Amino acid sequence: MMIYSNKKRMAAFFAFFVYISFFLITPVLKAQTADQISGQNGMAATAHPLATQAALEMMEKGGNAVDAAVAAAFAIGVVEPDGSGLGGGGGMLISFAGGTKNIFINYYPRTSEVIEKLSFDFDKDKKTAKSILVPGTVAGLLAALEQYGTLPIGTVIQPALQYAKQGFPVDETLSKIILDNSTVLGIYPGTSEIFLPEGFPLGQGDTLKQPLLAAVLEQIALHGAKGFYEGAVAERIAHEVTANGGMLTVNDLRNYQPVISEPLQGQYKGFHILTSPPPQSGASVLEALNILEQGNLPKWGHFSNSERSLHFLAETFKRVSADRSTHIGDPKFNTIPTTGLISKAFARERYSDIDMGRVNPPDNRSVKAGNPLKYNSVSKIKYNYNQEKEESIESDQQDDEGMTPSQQWKNDKFDNWGKKKQKKSPAPVIRKNVDSSEVIKDDDPMDAYYDTGLSPELAMAAEASGEGGHTTHLSVVDKDGNMVSLTQTIGNFFGSGLSASGVLMNNGLVNFSAVSEKNKIQPGKQPRSSISPSIILDNDGKPFIALGSPGAGRIIPTVVQLIVNLIDFKMNITEANEAPRMYSQKFDEKLYVEGRVPVEVRAGLEKKGHQLQVYDDFDLFFGGAQLVMYDWQTGLFYGSADKRRGGSAGSSTHRSEQ
Amino acid sequence: MLLFVTTYAKSPGSGGQYEQPILITSAGQSADVSLAGTLMKKLNLNFKVVNLAKESDLNGIKTLIIVPGFSSKGLGAAGISREQELERVKLILKAAKDKGIKLVMLHLGGKARRGAQSDDLCQLAANASSMMIVVKQGDEDQFFTKLAGQRKVPIKVIDKMADALTPLKEAF
Repeated sequence: MMIYSNKKRMAAFFAFFVYISFFLITPVLKAQTADQISGQNGMAATAHPLATQAALEMMEKGGNAVDAAVAAAFAIGVVEPDGSGLGGGGGMLISFAGGTKNIFINYYPRTSEVIEKLSFDFDKDKKTAKSILVPGTVAGLLAALEQYGTLPIGTVIQPALQYAKQGFPVDETLSKIILDNSTVLGIYPGTSEIFLPEGFPLGQGDTLKQPLLAAVLEQIALHGAKGFYEGAVAERIAHEVTANGGMLTVNDLRNYQPVISEPLQGQYKGFHILTSPPPQSGASVLEALNILEQGNLPKWGHFSNSERSLHFLAETFKRVSADRSTHIGDPKFNTIPTTGLISKAFARERYSDIDMGRVNPPDNRSVKAGNPLKYNSVSKIKYNYNQEKEESIESDQQDDEGMTPSQQWKNDKFDNWGKKKQKKSPAPVIRKNVDSSEVIKDDDPMDAYYDTGLSPELAMAAEASGEGGHTTHLSVVDKDGNMVSLTQTIGNFFGSGLSASGVLMNNGLVNFSAVSEKNKIQPGKQPRSSISPSIILDNDGKPFIALGSPGAGRIIPTVVQLIVNLIDFKMNITEANEAPRMYSQKFDEKLYVEGRVPVEVRAGLEKKGHQLQVYDDFDLFFGGAQLVMYDWQTGLFYGSADKRRGGSAGSSTHRSEQ
Repeated sequence: MLLFVTTYAKSPGSGGQYEQPILITSAGQSADVSLAGTLMKKLNLNFKVVNLAKESDLNGIKTLIIVPGFSSKGLGAAGISREQELERVKLILKAAKDKGIKLVMLHLGGKARRGAQSDDLCQLAANASSMMIVVKQGDEDQFFTKLAGQRKVPIKVIDKMADALTPLKEAF
């Protein structure tokens, strides 16, 4: 087994070997560089070496990618407790090696059935027990395990249980996050006892033990989902949430069910992208890619070094966020014009709205949502994995050699990774997560604010703050090429701040909107979420690259930039991960860039009217992406973990029975 | 917007070289300032925490404790820019000096409160203080030790935040 880790985690991780070496299997550490990390028997990339370790252990035991991802997801909730855990939820995208089956499991939290009894102030209550939704992590992960995994619950949950019970050393990233959030962590005694012993935050090298959480994990190991959603654990959680002002009943917990569906699917320059359906935001990823497809990024240059490309991305993401806030919500409660949103025709219309010479409109808040409804009735796209695309893209300019960028990419790169370009494999995909012919009204939240007379500043702040998101992402591929892309969250860092029976509870209610009709609070509803776990398929429809990121509203731009880096700029997955990032949206006037964007590019952007905010060269603000890739020809697996959040990629050197 | 939290505890009237009441303020708006308050509470000292303290908050104050460390989140919550915070810190330090108020620098955040965004705030605070207490992970490069040496002021480098209780108890 080989684990590759970010340098800043290495010292703490090394200490951990000594501390609990009895369950480690001779791992080898190596600092992650821009070189690709490769292996021969599967690969996992997560936000923490111990979660990566958990995934690899499952694969060494003969488990598949689902077993590994579920183990890593439980483990990451223990060792990265600020980002996700049993008290939250997420989305899990599974693509099976055969190329014919793709599954999306939506286990995002949802509101209590009696949520109308709760009085919620979006400003004052966002880090309190009032913000807690019914958690879905346990139900979602165990549904995946039961239906698509091979190992027993007790085995898969064991690493998480060990980390919770025996403790693990706090690393630099977690110590900083605890310090930054020490005020919130001090509100509820059950939480402060864990993270602020004697009133002071755990520091780097301290051991974090979570015995109450371990006890809950033991119940899950013994009784499955019922160990969490029924019986004593459920009663204690419901009691503690309601005793602290929240709204969560035993019935809410008992009735929680994940939604299993087909993933959303689109195309970018000939590559098929699987991603999360509404109310998660894969549609926004696809919309952004469709708009970007109208330009010619390969010719203009990478956006970290091209004023034109960066401006194009910035203006694209503003429009995508306007469309998202207007059109995406829980499909159980709304008709969502998904087909229109991800159609090439709508993208062309949105592209035509972009002024490549300047920021237009000059203030982001004036960017209006488009109307995808008129494109919602186009015939459903049937994908042939060997076809470029059924809908033509007129502006996909040809280069000097008469090839489109996607053709060029395949020639230059994809073939090198072993693609069989001409092999026919129809593999039609029917999408069910789409459509309405109903006329939709443009319920741009900004308009609602204007109607109420609130200041644009307040409106901007309210809509922008409706984005929890400190979240985590992990990607796994097993020796057979089955792939999982999983993003899960508890909302903001440490969620609501309430630890109920040792389980840090989410603050998902803040992801609803006080003004958006589609994303208003209703009983039993899931809020809109920006999480977008994605998988790129090869031309045979087989899983090729799994990717995703945490980062609230930055998730969508970050996932899009990763895909563009891979496909347009022919980067390997580590280069794609490490490339400078940017972020813009409608509800924030600034254009955020990493410090590696050259000064002259920044100056040019300011001349176009952008208000720049420059972050560090590698800044966790822009997410923490984890990618894995499988080269079907060579049989090599590749992994890349994001150095911005101390991630870790690892592979197993142990060859299991074929 | 809640800009400050005020807490007073009774004075034990012990006899260090620094006097009470104490005003604690931030230089950079990190959450560390509230942890300084936790230290004061444990020592039962007479103090108040004012995140965005200004000159008028110094009335009646005998000792100013400044807690440096940049936090974009904290600045955002306070609704001010980094430049505004730098200006405020300069003004409060000058006002304290003009009033003859003694100043202690308490750097609690370790490495998380060092780097490009924090160091000028740390230097401002260190150069105005007559005593420094620093968690050692924030002084691995001897940044504070060197400043203390140059200015010939005492510095206590401690392992952990809670260890600040001892030098603070001695000081007050």
